[in-house]
Amino acid sequence: MPNATTETVRLTIDGVSVSVPKGTLVIEAARRVGVMVPHFCYHPKLKPDANCRMCLVEVERMPKLQTSCSTIATEGMAVRTATTVVHNAHKSVLEFILANHPLDCPVCDQGGKCDLQDFSHQYTATSRFEETKRIFQKEYFSPLIETQMNRCVQCLRCVRYCDEVMDVKALAPVGRGTMTEIKSFGSHPLDCEFCGGCVQICPVGAIVSRLSMYEYRPWMLKRADTVCTFCGDGCQITVQTKGQELIEVNSAHGAGRNSGDLCARGFFGFRATSHPSRITHPLIRRNGMLVEATWEDVLEFVAEQTKRLKLAHGPQAFGGLISGRCTNEELYLFQKFMRLTIGTNNLDSSARYGHVNGVQAMRLVQGTHRWTVTFEDIVQADVLLLIGTNITEANPITGLKVKEAVKKHSATLLTIEAIQPAIGTISNISNLSQQHLCIAPSQFGAAVLGLLKAVVEGNHVDNTIKQRAPDYVSAVSHAVQQLAWDDLAVSTGVPHESFFQMAASLVGGRRVVVLAGQMLLRSQGGYGICLNLLDLLLLTGKLTAQGCGFAPLAEENNDQGAVEMGAVAALLPGARDLTDQDARAQIAHAWKEDLPVAAGATLTEMIDRAQAGIIKGLFVVGENPVGSLPPQTGVKEALGKLDLLVCQELFLTETAALAHVVLPAASAMEKAGTFTNTEGHVQAVRPAIDPLGDSRPDWEILSALSVFIGVPLEYGDAKEILKEIRAVIPGYGSLGPSPIPPAVNPMVVDQYVTDGYRRDLAGRYTLPARAVRQEGTVELGLVQSLFHSGKLSTYSKGLLQIESSGYLHMNPVDAARFGLTTGDRVRLSNSRGEFATTAKVLDRVPEGLAWFPDHFAQDALRLFDCVVDPDTKVPSFRTVSVSVMKTT
Amino acid sequence: MLARRAASEGPRWTRAVRAPSIPSPWVGRQGSQMLKEKYQEEIDEIISRYPVKRSALIPLLYLAQRDEGFISEAAMKEIAGLLRLTPPQVYETATFYTMLNLKRVGKFHLQVCKSLMCALAGSDTVIGWVKTKLGIGPGETTSDGLFSLSAVECLAACGTAPMMQVNEDYYERLTEERFDRILADLKRDGTCSLKTGPFMWPEPVAVKGET
Amino acid sequence: MPKHELILLKNMMQLGYTGSLQDYERAGGYQALRKVVGKVPPADVTAMVMKSGLRGRGGAGFPTGVKWGFLPKGYQGPRYLCCNADESEPGTFKDRQLIERDPHQILEGIVLACYAIGAETAYIYIRGEFVLGARILEQAIAEARTAGYIGTNILGAGITANVWVHRGAGAYICGEETALLESLEGKRGLPRVKPPFPATHGLYNKPTVVNNIETLANLPHIVGRGPEWFASIGSPPKSTGTRVFCVSGHVNEPGNYEVPMGITFRELIYEHAGGMRSDKPLKAFIPGGASAPFLTANHLDVKLDFESVAAAGSMLGSGGVTVMEEGTDMVWAALRLMEFFYHESCGKCSPCREGSSWLVQTMRRIVAKRGRMEDLETLVDLCKNIEGRTVCAFGDASVAPIMSTLKHWRAEYVTLIQEAEAANLIKLEPAGRH
Ligand SMILES: Cc1cc2nc3c(=O)[nH]c(=O)nc-3n(C[C@H](O)[C@H](O)[C@H](O)COP(=O)(O)O)c2cc1C
Ligand code: SF4
Ligand code: FES
Repeated sequence: MPNATTETVRLTIDGVSVSVPKGTLVIEAARRVGVMVPHFCYHPKLKPDANCRMCLVEVERMPKLQTSCSTIATEGMAVRTATTVVHNAHKSVLEFILANHPLDCPVCDQGGKCDLQDFSHQYTATSRFEETKRIFQKEYFSPLIETQMNRCVQCLRCVRYCDEVMDVKALAPVGRGTMTEIKSFGSHPLDCEFCGGCVQICPVGAIVSRLSMYEYRPWMLKRADTVCTFCGDGCQITVQTKGQELIEVNSAHGAGRNSGDLCARGFFGFRATSHPSRITHPLIRRNGMLVEATWEDVLEFVAEQTKRLKLAHGPQAFGGLISGRCTNEELYLFQKFMRLTIGTNNLDSSARYGHVNGVQAMRLVQGTHRWTVTFEDIVQADVLLLIGTNITEANPITGLKVKEAVKKHSATLLTIEAIQPAIGTISNISNLSQQHLCIAPSQFGAAVLGLLKAVVEGNHVDNTIKQRAPDYVSAVSHAVQQLAWDDLAVSTGVPHESFFQMAASLVGGRRVVVLAGQMLLRSQGGYGICLNLLDLLLLTGKLTAQGCGFAPLAEENNDQGAVEMGAVAALLPGARDLTDQDARAQIAHAWKEDLPVAAGATLTEMIDRAQAGIIKGLFVVGENPVGSLPPQTGVKEALGKLDLLVCQELFLTETAALAHVVLPAASAMEKAGTFTNTEGHVQAVRPAIDPLGDSRPDWEILSALSVFIGVPLEYGDAKEILKEIRAVIPGYGSLGPSPIPPAVNPMVVDQYVTDGYRRDLAGRYTLPARAVRQEGTVELGLVQSLFHSGKLSTYSKGLLQIESSGYLHMNPVDAARFGLTTGDRVRLSNSRGEFATTAKVLDRVPEGLAWFPDHFAQDALRLFDCVVDPDTKVPSFRTVSVSVMKTT
Repeated sequence: MLARRAASEGPRWTRAVRAPSIPSPWVGRQGSQMLKEKYQEEIDEIISRYPVKRSALIPLLYLAQRDEGFISEAAMKEIAGLLRLTPPQVYETATFYTMLNLKRVGKFHLQVCKSLMCALAGSDTVIGWVKTKLGIGPGETTSDGLFSLSAVECLAACGTAPMMQVNEDYYERLTEERFDRILADLKRDGTCSLKTGPFMWPEPVAVKGET
Repeated sequence: MPKHELILLKNMMQLGYTGSLQDYERAGGYQALRKVVGKVPPADVTAMVMKSGLRGRGGAGFPTGVKWGFLPKGYQGPRYLCCNADESEPGTFKDRQLIERDPHQILEGIVLACYAIGAETAYIYIRGEFVLGARILEQAIAEARTAGYIGTNILGAGITANVWVHRGAGAYICGEETALLESLEGKRGLPRVKPPFPATHGLYNKPTVVNNIETLANLPHIVGRGPEWFASIGSPPKSTGTRVFCVSGHVNEPGNYEVPMGITFRELIYEHAGGMRSDKPLKAFIPGGASAPFLTANHLDVKLDFESVAAAGSMLGSGGVTVMEEGTDMVWAALRLMEFFYHESCGKCSPCREGSSWLVQTMRRIVAKRGRMEDLETLVDLCKNIEGRTVCAFGDASVAPIMSTLKHWRAEYVTLIQEAEAANLIKLEPAGRH
């Protein structure tokens, strides 16, 4: 915190003395002593607007009643909330608010959790209003959100939330006086981020979710607090259920890392897992067909085959792949299953698609596998650098932290992103940016080099590091001096002044956080760029400074957990090297068994080995390599050659369709465990409903398999596994509201600046290749959409209503160049193949680029090449050059 | 319960107006950028008066209204783009002010002040004249599209009541005779010489000893 | 020949005075500016205004010099002057005349104010309906700019003051100073919660002064002829100077009359405005625009200064004096004003928004002879529940007509209701027989 010694003031609330930080509102001070002043328009997340006038209180020495939501507590203030005058004032304001409110509580979804209802009850407010109530014309509002404007109390919380917190500004209070109503634009339906914030923040039932309209009364519902599975931000959600039915998702202000904020995926995507096409019974291949079977039969079959193959070909004939959506307990058990029951290190997880790049860079330079900063540090930062984050879409809640820093605390935001600062229906982070560089994804590396060069040439290198590691500093200085500004300008399209300006802003910050997103982490050379960003922090003296740090953003909800649990080939639990003898000894001791020695194969290596017939059996848990990797990798043929392909899955994916056995897995809504979010917070996952049909949590399946195979890994419940994890991983974070992030390890930094940096410095201080763009082509990029997450969300009816399929998003200039308008069919092709889709013109796409959402990209993948990072083995297939043709 | 379930799928009245499957983006409108093309210089000049672009919103809405006679959705979208606002931000402002018309009004917009001060001097009679002579009440437009009537609140001409404003011009101290002449002139010439010049009431008169 | 010396209306009272720069200069215009710009320190100009006792002419009557003194000292960065030419208070039409007939007088005042408070930009927020006024101002600004009175390097003294005309678009509330700022920022004209006050967080969150047009028009005279001179006029020490009162309603010669503060209403109405228009005696008058409570014939000898009118239970407000003769239906009159307030409530605060709609509906019922005795109690209750519970003074103002007419002419309400009840009885009786 910047002001750890926060000043306080002392005041009394109804005679009770309380001391609060300076600047606290009276309404909050009252809350501290347990006095809840009734209110509608006030919300702790929003700037006071004091429009409802409900929260009036008496303040000594002030002639009029004051609104406690907008009055700041001062030293010696005496506030009274319980006098007759105050009571009568509340009653009269309530009478006004009720005047135009319809009494349709029995059919209102808010009934039972409505502030207006509660206060009316409290004040036994009877209305003398006998005149005509206003009536609004009903209008279609949006596919997911419905308004009942007759109920609106005009507190404008929805409008203010949409602007102040989300920076979306999709809601408009229209008209004036009593006839003010909340609309979007003219008679157009609401078209926005669909974060559900307006639904959640409305104190009455004026804005409701259509997904659960009329389905329940609040008291019928059972609630479970758990964690959203749709991205790495790890939002806490409260899932409300009626029997086995998922009814609604909410988030509570003050709870979890999101503190009441969600995105469309979290708020509206919750029914993805209860989609009718869920696999609910074990399937086994008989005569080429997958048919239902009993658990006994399939487990027996898998065990038999495994034992047979292991006997014939040894444990190295196996591989395993697990999804970063699984719980920590499952990830841990999976690697233990592979390493112990099977006896191989051939195992990997979806963290390999990019997250590993960030983690390995942090491990090399600063000796941590987690961020050294937290969301709070982002909010408190005075300078934020975002690079390749696509943050609104990929990590919307981290995005909100950035917005909060900028909008509430006036942080300086610097962005290097592949977006144009256009205003659209989805907020655009570059609009909040003080300095934005619009850079093609393939040139993010060049932009970072530009920044480094500007730091060196602008004499911004920190003195401490100069003295401590002169060789390192001169090596980097030398490397950047080899780069010509002209070349940098050509690569990035940015003049050198911009880099100097950005470097100066960066250096000028006291609390500097650098966020790197999946666009960068998943791109070719992502690992090197991460290292360079760490160099940037090191050279400017920001790596170890309080509140500063590097924050690579995880795409999947438990990518971070996958790494920490050792569910990637070269890492053991605790993200320790497979070759780390101490770690091996410690784990072997805990497991009472030695660990396999042979280095493990990573994702693409396993596919190659399957292709070569070396790997014969593959265990796949929740992963879908056939659907996710470009066909060019030969993944489908490779898996086709396997003697045993076992898939634990929710749905019959492209990969599961090839399996010999498909085991029905329970979704995160149906099991207990923990997820670790992008900033390293381990949070509890709790079941909202029972597993559907015969499905079982993945850890139970793995455990059962191990028993059948004869090397049993038995646990009573997920908690028992967590206990073992805690024992195996030294200092493993405890569940809690705010675990302390790890600190930079100075010994590792020393090692890096004396020696570690040398190995590949030349390589990563070279400008990335510049493709000469051919006439009639664009660079096609796969991107994350705000409305989807992996392929899972494409099973959510709600989200499909917002985004039903993939469109090719194109800049208007490019679209005009190709004679395209929104809705036109278009064919993309290159030497690898072709692919037809529909175009959509979007201002925020930079010229020369075209975006296609990853979630619908199975067919588009055939155009992509896959490049594997030599160090981190991350397969990269983010962008490719394609020709564009309008078709009919 | 069943009926309710069905309702949750989407009330029946929503069927006809389903959201388009490709939501229309707010900006990036493909059509001609009308205002910008026609009034580039004026727009730039207006924006240059303010350190924060949004301040130019009402002036630009006026410009759009002058151009088309009312403020169209297309204009609101374009203005949003010019000022880096979302269309709802433009819309919320446009709907707050009574002088900004989001719908077409007649060629001559008669705005008769009905506030107390004018009422004391007979403004209700003026509204009556409009009704008998043009056949329209407040909020209505003649079928030929020539005249619209609004009964408005005080226009700061209480000393010269009753009065009305027609488009940009004030007509004060209305009598039936003057009123008839105004209508006739407007119809014929599009303007009327009875409109008020620089205001002063009572007017200066020649005083002895002065020239 | 007016019996008091005219200050603000003096030029325009000259036959043939067009308000052009030439006319204004010939009448001694811009001399005050020449006198101080670059010669007298800005703080001294503020001190002069403070000493003159000038109080705001927009409605609240806040001492102008004191208001300027609230600007943060030593603040680096832009400050703004916003000139309130929204003139929407029913019964008020003085600013319009000052603008259209003698624009340079205002501009000189504006530049003087800018100089005193260190603002380099002034916006004249003029109500949208004043199209002619806006044009005249723009033309005058162009003239003044050419002559070096406005712009950068004013009179070669290195002082900058740019003046822009910004038209409102039809909203009474935008006369309220913070709503005006919101509107000027391109938003809906909703008043802001205070504190913070415009002096520290005004336009674009920067230190800002909002002053009425008439207030500003006084400045050249105060600076030109000295604060002592100004302070000696009117009803010192608290109500100095003249005011332009706008007389409307049932008088022979309605119009704008500039008189020193402190004369009586009787003098204003009978000597300046020509007395009642017919043989009916005066029944009621509003002393300061629609927001001011009604007064009765008994109040005719109240003095036209801030304190006296307040003591009589009303306020001097914007200086709009509306006269009503015997026979005027006071319930109807209150309803007319209530309809105005209902139409103009911005909708921000629940008591004002909902209360005004409720009051209007109840009043309409009473006037339409569908009232009940309980309604009177409800009216009073509602008014009291609105008063003092809203963000801006609009709420307080909106209840003035009903509260004051109920106070002075309750019997008229009662009669209407009794008639309603009688009519009801008649209506019910035949129904009862069947
Ligand atoms: C509802 C309301 C409407 C107002 N309308 C006006 C107006 O039209 N013109 C004006 O000058 N002041 C108006 N005021 C007063 C202003 O808020 C403010 O006090 C004034 O502009 C300050 O200038 P002054 O100090 O020079 O009087 C209004 C106040 C309220 C509460
Ligand atoms: S819809 Fe709800 S949140 Fe929005 S203004 Fe109305 S009551 Fe407030
Ligand atoms: S909560 Fe304070 S005014 Fe609404």
